[in-house]
Amino acid sequence: MKSKLKLEELVQDTRVSRKIYLENEIFMLEMERIFESNWVFLGHESELAAPGDFKTLTIGTQPAIMTRDEHGDIQVLMNRCMHRGSTVCQQERGNSPTFRCWYHGWTYNSKGELIGVPYADGYGAGFDRRKFSLLKAARVEKYRGLVFASLEADVERLTEYLGNAKYYIDLFMDLSPLGEVEARAGEHKYGYDGNWKFQQENGVDGYHPNFVHQAYFEAQGKELGRKVMGLFTGNSECDSKDLANGHSILDMTIKNRHGTRPVRNMLRGSTSQSSGAAYVASMTQRYGEARTAEILGASNVNLAIFPNLLIIGIQLRKTIPVSVTRTAVHLLPTTLKGVPDEINVARLRAHESFYGSAGGGAPDDVEMFNRCSEGLRVKGAEWLELSRGIEREHRDEEGNIVGHITDETPQRAFYRRWRALMCDAAALQPAKPLRAVPSL
Amino acid sequence: MPILSRSDAEDVLYREARILDERRYRDWLEMLADDATYWIPCNGEGSDPNREISLVFDDLKRLRDRVERLESGLAHAQSPPSATRRLISNVHIDDASDNAAAIWSGFILYELRHGRERVFAGRYEHRLQLVEGQWKIRRKKVVLVNNDEVIDNLTFIV
Ligand code: FES
Ligand SMILES: [Fe+2]
Repeated sequence: MKSKLKLEELVQDTRVSRKIYLENEIFMLEMERIFESNWVFLGHESELAAPGDFKTLTIGTQPAIMTRDEHGDIQVLMNRCMHRGSTVCQQERGNSPTFRCWYHGWTYNSKGELIGVPYADGYGAGFDRRKFSLLKAARVEKYRGLVFASLEADVERLTEYLGNAKYYIDLFMDLSPLGEVEARAGEHKYGYDGNWKFQQENGVDGYHPNFVHQAYFEAQGKELGRKVMGLFTGNSECDSKDLANGHSILDMTIKNRHGTRPVRNMLRGSTSQSSGAAYVASMTQRYGEARTAEILGASNVNLAIFPNLLIIGIQLRKTIPVSVTRTAVHLLPTTLKGVPDEINVARLRAHESFYGSAGGGAPDDVEMFNRCSEGLRVKGAEWLELSRGIEREHRDEEGNIVGHITDETPQRAFYRRWRALMCDAAALQPAKPLRAVPSL
Repeated sequence: MPILSRSDAEDVLYREARILDERRYRDWLEMLADDATYWIPCNGEGSDPNREISLVFDDLKRLRDRVERLESGLAHAQSPPSATRRLISNVHIDDASDNAAAIWSGFILYELRHGRERVFAGRYEHRLQLVEGQWKIRRKKVVLVNNDEVIDNLTFIV
């Protein structure tokens, strides 16, 4: 680290430096202190339905394998042969009870144990194959089917880490009358020439939609015969919330409860009245009327889980850092268990209409990330301003900091966590107390 | 009872390629039948769009919205627009009966946008229908070779 960078000064309460999007040294530190030392999202349990199912992925920029062993447990193995370093699995997805490194033939089981060494008599008596298991993530935990791992053992339990975000994850999963979603409908993959943080900031940015997505909203409004931009105007009734630990949400539930927006959103397009009615009936049977109304009223949230997960619409979105100025993004669309097929078809169609490389909305966000990446090359302007709404935040009964939906409350939440993880305690000035906020 | 010949098929495909390369989207919509679908599978060959996500699965209504967005000046991912040139070859008639046909073809599509060049390759599967003496496109399926890879931007019409 060059001394002139002074990490702790680059991310301040209401602004961040351009350097955090451009400097390779900072990126390398982010990998170490954020992605390799804390919980990161890997995928959904249903992607690995059967024992032996696997998918390859990265933790930070390190190659790993997530697989289901013969006992049905999820294992997260580092994809690095303990002989001389080759990856042991090259396929993106598949099923195999073992992983063979084809360089010299060492073979591992789905727990990562070395079970085969060709011509083993060439090794001395002191050679202990138990010392050559594939490295593993120190911690793997699940919440409602979402799989997280941490390479560092000394982290709080996942449920504690998720904290107040759990309530919103529950709402997403409870859209199924069986309380379960599946992520087996394929995966959208796109990328951009810019830093990974652009995507995480944008997924909970309620200030941009009416500009970036104006054309999409106008077409949609024409179809519905009304304006759909109201959610994101300056006088919208909706909130943004800092859920602590870097998590945040655009909470549109209040607005939703005023009408039938969520159900219409979800069922938009081709769902018949009978499927819709059958769905609502099975939901009511499972959850009761009040909870059903709560779940359906919340079916349109943008939730960010620090550092790399966004839950938006029907999708689980994973932000994948590739280099300081290159990012890949994977979207796992989910279907609901226990609902008429029609509803899941409508979910897929609704997702495609906006998201993915050819969608009507998300590529315009990606365009903005590319533009920011380019614009930030200007050296005279050091700061990105994130002060919007700081004067009107308040704290709710759950302890969340609440801002207006168009405020930069979620981005401040992200960077507060970033700062806590990135800056050595010694380097941090005494933490500035949060601005005192009047309670509700 | 007209049966589509290979040169009929090529006429349709080449005309479509030219219209799209020239971004004459309204003219392209004119080439489509009322029940047309435009389908770009994701993650492979594409078997059942009702069970798997697609990059695009548009009916005519969605295509009209898509064209409207592209023409609005507010489709930022196409501002500036992609300049494209597509070459179509290896045309096969898979099936030709009275007034209907299925065509298979290979394409390479060169794209230039914002100083960045990309090349896409894949195959088209067209289903045509004779409507009032004209061959109309009822279904266009585009199987991109790289449809299981990261694609930064696919907002032009393939
Ligand atoms: S590097 Fe894997 S067996 Fe030699
Ligand atoms: Fe957006």
